[in-house]
Amino acid sequence: MFLSACLDLLPEESGAPGFAHYSSRAKAAEDAGLDVLILGRETAGGIAPGRLEALVTMPWIAGVARRAAVVGVLPALHSVPFHVARALSAIDFLSDGRTGWMPAVPGGDRFDHAYGPAYTLPAGETVAKYDDFIRATQALWDSWDDDALVLDKDRGEYLDSTKVRRVAYEGPYFSTMGPLNAARPPQGHPLLFREGISAATTPADVRLAAADETASGAVFVKTDLAGLTGTLKGEPSALGIHLTGNPSAADIAAARAIMPAASAVSGTLRDRLGLARPINPFTKAAL
Amino acid sequence: MANPNGRLHLWAFLQGIGFHPGGWRHAAATPSAVFQRDYYERTARTAEKGCFDAIVFGDQLQGRDAAGRTPGRLAIPTLDPFTLLSVMAGATNNIGLVATVSTTYNEPGEVAAKFAALDYLSQGRAGWNIVTTAHPNSAPNFGEAELLQKSLRYQRAQAFLDAAELFWRASCGGPVDRQAMHNAWFQFDGTLDFPCPPQGRPVIVQAGQSPDGRDFAARSAEAIFCPAPSIEAGREFRDDIRTRVKAAGRDPDGVKIMPGLAIVLGDTEEAAERTHAQLLELADDGLCIEYLSESIGYDLTVHNPNVLIPLDEILATCEFPKGDITRMLTPAVEKGQTIAELSRGYVKKPRGHGIFCGTPEQMANHMETWINAGACDGFTLQPGFMPLELDLFCAEVVPLLQQRDLLRKEYQGTMLRDHLGLGALA
Repeated sequence: MFLSACLDLLPEESGAPGFAHYSSRAKAAEDAGLDVLILGRETAGGIAPGRLEALVTMPWIAGVARRAAVVGVLPALHSVPFHVARALSAIDFLSDGRTGWMPAVPGGDRFDHAYGPAYTLPAGETVAKYDDFIRATQALWDSWDDDALVLDKDRGEYLDSTKVRRVAYEGPYFSTMGPLNAARPPQGHPLLFREGISAATTPADVRLAAADETASGAVFVKTDLAGLTGTLKGEPSALGIHLTGNPSAADIAAARAIMPAASAVSGTLRDRLGLARPINPFTKAAL
Repeated sequence: MANPNGRLHLWAFLQGIGFHPGGWRHAAATPSAVFQRDYYERTARTAEKGCFDAIVFGDQLQGRDAAGRTPGRLAIPTLDPFTLLSVMAGATNNIGLVATVSTTYNEPGEVAAKFAALDYLSQGRAGWNIVTTAHPNSAPNFGEAELLQKSLRYQRAQAFLDAAELFWRASCGGPVDRQAMHNAWFQFDGTLDFPCPPQGRPVIVQAGQSPDGRDFAARSAEAIFCPAPSIEAGREFRDDIRTRVKAAGRDPDGVKIMPGLAIVLGDTEEAAERTHAQLLELADDGLCIEYLSESIGYDLTVHNPNVLIPLDEILATCEFPKGDITRMLTPAVEKGQTIAELSRGYVKKPRGHGIFCGTPEQMANHMETWINAGACDGFTLQPGFMPLELDLFCAEVVPLLQQRDLLRKEYQGTMLRDHLGLGALA
């Protein structure tokens, strides 16, 4: 069984000693047996983007924690598909496919204030924009086929031009032409994590859900350390546990000690969790 | 006493697998490595051992396609710069990390948050090379039909930088300037709670050549990239910038002029020339034609390479401003050149930069001459291909520069501002 938890920079971790503290917390979490580090903060309304911008922090964390997977929490209603798709392609390559992303709605108020009225959404449109952001980003990843790169020096063939195309994605909030200036990530798409947003129509790879919440597909059940024993009895077939309450390394080790081992600790995150690779709708079927 | 930081500043501009379009095909090049963490960790440590001020990555907000066809013989230029620099931050302790980021398709709060994270994770080594995005194919990737007009892009850049500065100052507990929050470009009323960047903000770098770009640089930049085809041109540019900086009420020594310099090294002059000739040969006609296609926004591969340049057809459908393309192609059309001839010539001077080709001794002499002539404050090196040319430079040229007291023998501080000799922010 897999174990995830949030890691956020603490307000007192500014400055050089704070930096060393943050860095050692990330490493200690992995050493204690955490499988998935979610870069975000727990709030009363759900997991929100953290104090350190996630896309810049993910590649660094993936160098500190060299085995655990890293999931970035992004402001779902304030991010740009082209930038996100491009960054996550590079991050997925440079971490050998150990990545996921979690566009999140909680905490969006502070981005509304910091980004201005153009980002303030009419009531009731949150889920539509959330889905559109995800579809546009995934369409850009699909602007390249998995096998587009050739890298044949002798013949001078870097890539196969027929396997890269403009996608001309048009949605209600985003339109983007493509192709992306980055190859399709090793996992096809980095894993999409979701908490709540049950009305979303895009399929999530992994859902973080409370024990009493109905959620289909791969689920990490949310519980704090105190409730873990009961949760393990009630949800013996869950894919993973998401440990809430800003657990310390000692908490993580304690949770790990009473949980069944993870079924895989190497390979891409998608492979570890046994999830299917997303089909690229643009790829021409082999004859 | 000699300045322990040295009179010569070195920046490594590491585009993809190297500067030369044919470089990825060289026997010693490692094109698959640009998708691997190890390559960036190793490269960063090499440049840090060579006492470079900083590593810089350029940025593109569009693919390399012309009319929708992505070239098959050209390498991906650069992966997402923040990702690469974040990996490098984890592998080094001193070298500066400069990301090129556009002020056109971003929000100030987002960019401020990203640089705060990079500066925090590197403990004070972030720099921001500000660009305004001039490639027409960028706009449709962000849902826009066309680019902002150039002078407007610079107006936006200034308002953007002012707004980003507000976010950084607020994160460090400084006063908030309402003017930067409410103007023609931006309207916002809150800031974000990211950590105070150790440098206060990233070092500001700029690359524009136009009068708008120079004025922007004079007000804000702490280092400037530029092409400098000759010592005279370099001195003229540096003098002009220093005058403008002074007029803006700033210290001219607080702005380093760092012209680009593409390099191909060899133990002897002949060996260097041989490598250069090899690079040109590896850029075969197919590659050269794709390279020119990308530069004019028109897919020349649909034509026979040996026909005369079809200027009218190009102008009818190319995606770039027709005036620019006409100016660029007319001399070749008047000479009666074919597509292949023009393309081969174009690759010899990629993007208008010259290539320095020679021995380590000649390279050191070249650099010393320019510094002594006041033609620059250092160089932005663009290795012909990677990683060999950077390795050679660090192993062979760096010791010569250090012996001549041009380059520091060790870092004099841990922050990028220290390497540039800039004091702490007021």
